[in-house]
Amino acid sequence: MASEPDKLQRRQFLTLSLGWCSAIFALGASLAAAGRFLVPNVLYEPSRRFKALKPEDYSEGPTFLPNLRVFLFRKGNSFRAVSAVCTHLGCTVNLSGNGFHCPCHGSVFDQGGAVRSGPAPAPLTWFELTLSRDGHLVIDTSLAVNPDKYLVV
Amino acid sequence: MLTQAWKSFLRTRVGRSVFRVGLPSTNLERAQAAISSFFLHLQPAKVNRRVVEFRTTLGLGLISLYLFLILVGTGVLLMFYYVPATEHAYQNMKDLEFVVTAGQVLRNMHRWAAHMMVLFVALHLCRVFYTGAYKPPREFNWVVGVMLFLLTLALSFTGYLLPWDQLAYWAITVGTSIAGYAPLIGQKLKFLFLGGHVVGQSALIRFYVLHVIVLPLAAILFIAVHLWRVRKDGGLARPHEPQVTSENLSTAQLPLTKTYGLMELARGSTPAVGIDPEDEIFTWPNLAFRELLLFLATLAVLLILAICWNAPLEQIANPVHPPNPAKAPWYFLGLQELVAYSAFWGGVVVPGLLVTALVALPYADRKRQGIGVWFSRERKVALTIFTLCLVVAVVLTVIGTAFRGPNWSFQWPWKPVPVHETGTP
Repeated sequence: MASEPDKLQRRQFLTLSLGWCSAIFALGASLAAAGRFLVPNVLYEPSRRFKALKPEDYSEGPTFLPNLRVFLFRKGNSFRAVSAVCTHLGCTVNLSGNGFHCPCHGSVFDQGGAVRSGPAPAPLTWFELTLSRDGHLVIDTSLAVNPDKYLVV
Repeated sequence: MLTQAWKSFLRTRVGRSVFRVGLPSTNLERAQAAISSFFLHLQPAKVNRRVVEFRTTLGLGLISLYLFLILVGTGVLLMFYYVPATEHAYQNMKDLEFVVTAGQVLRNMHRWAAHMMVLFVALHLCRVFYTGAYKPPREFNWVVGVMLFLLTLALSFTGYLLPWDQLAYWAITVGTSIAGYAPLIGQKLKFLFLGGHVVGQSALIRFYVLHVIVLPLAAILFIAVHLWRVRKDGGLARPHEPQVTSENLSTAQLPLTKTYGLMELARGSTPAVGIDPEDEIFTWPNLAFRELLLFLATLAVLLILAICWNAPLEQIANPVHPPNPAKAPWYFLGLQELVAYSAFWGGVVVPGLLVTALVALPYADRKRQGIGVWFSRERKVALTIFTLCLVVAVVLTVIGTAFRGPNWSFQWPWKPVPVHETGTP
C-alpha cells in the first residue's frame, strides 16, 4: 500500500523530467541555431590581404592607401605599413606633423604609431609587409607585426 | 450640418453596429462609451480628477506615445522608397528630397519625431522620478519604462545608419566600436552587430531589420505592458492612494483600488447622485478630448518643425575620411565626451552603471513618502542624487554638442569653426 504513491511519484517524476528536458532542449537548440545563423560564414568585404604596387613605384615618405586605410612609409629601401584606423573607436587618423591625429576624439600618435596623448588605449597597428614573387608589395591587414619590423628590399 | 449628418449616421443600422453607444448623453452611456470602445477601453470609465490636470504629468508619456505612433506612420511611408543597399540608400535619400512629393517633409518629420521622442521619453522618466511615481506598487512599471527608454535609444541609433551619409557612417563606426570595448565578448559582439569587420552592406541590412521590425515590435510589446500596468497598479500615482499589493489583488478586495464608482450608474435616484467619494470624472469626454487635443498639438509642432527645418544629410558615406569632428547623435554626445577620456569607462562602465542604477532605483529607494507629489520635501536625498546625475548628464551632452570643435578640442560655440579641416597633406 505504501509503495503505491511512491510508484506514482516516480512515474510523475520521469514524465515531468522528460517533458522539461525536451522543452528546454528544443528551445535551447532553436535559440542556438538562430544565434549561430546570425554569424556570417562568408564575408563580402574587400580582402584583407592586398597586393600593392612595386616598391620602386612609391615615393619617399608616406603614401595613403584609402581602401585599406593604411599608411605605407618608404624610407630609402625600407618599408613599413601602419594602420590608419584609430585604436580608440575606429576613426581614420590623419597625418599631422611628424605623427598622426584622430579627428574623432583627439588621440595623437607619434611617427611609429605609439600613443602620445588622448584616449587611444593602444598604438596604431603595423601590418605584415611581404614581397610577392613578381616583386609587388603585399599588405596583410589581418596580421599585426611588431612596430620595428621593416621590409627591406 | 455636419453634426446632424453624423448623428443620423449613428442612428442607422451600420452606425449602431460600429459604435454601439453613439454619442453619449447620459452618465451610463459615457461609461459605456469608454468600456465598449477598443481604443478608449485602455482607460477606465472614470478617472481621478488629477489625471486630466496638466501639471500632474505634463502629458509627457502621452506625447512620447504619440511620437512613437507618428514614427511608425512616417516610417512605413518612407519604407516604400528606401532600399537598404549601400549603392541605393543615399540616392533614395536624395530622391526623397528632390523627386518624391512630400518626401522631404515626411523624412523631416521622421527625423525630428525621433529626436523629440528621445527627449520626451527622458523628460517623462524625470517626471516619474520627481513625482515619486516609481514607488510601490509601480516598481515594475518603472523597470518596463527604463527598458522602453533603452529601446527608444536603440531605435534611434539603428535608424541613424540608414541614410548612409557621412554622419550616419561615422556615428555607427564610433558607436559599434564602443560595443567592442565590452569585456570578453566585445569584439564578438561588434562582429555580430556589423555582420563583418567594417561598416558595410551587411551592417546596413542588419541595422535596417532591427530598425523596421525587431525593435518596433519589442517597443509595441513593452508599451502594451507599460499601459496595462498603469491601470493595474491603480492609475496615476497620487498621494494617500490605496495600495495594490499581491495580497489585495484578488477581486474580493479590489474595491479598495477601484477607479470608478458604480453606484452612480446603478442608483441614479438616490441623493448621492453625482457625488463621487474618490473625486472622479468620466473618461468620455473629459480625458478623451484632452488626449485628442494633445495629439493635435504634438502633430502641429512636429509639422512646423518639419516644414521649417530640413533633416541633415551630409555627403555620401566615405569610409576613408571621417568628418572632423565626427559626432554621434546628440543624446550620445555625453557618452562621447566621456569616451574622449576613456573608451572603456565612458563607453562601458558608466552607461552600464547608469542603467543598473535606474533599474534598481525603485527597489533601492524604500521610502514610501512623497508618492504623487512633485519634489516632495520628504525625499531630499533621492532628489539631490538624481538631480546631480541629471545635471552632469546634461552638462556633458551640452559640452559634447556645442563646445567641441575639430579634433574634439574645446571650442566656444560662437567662434567660427574652420570648415573641412582634414589634416591630410
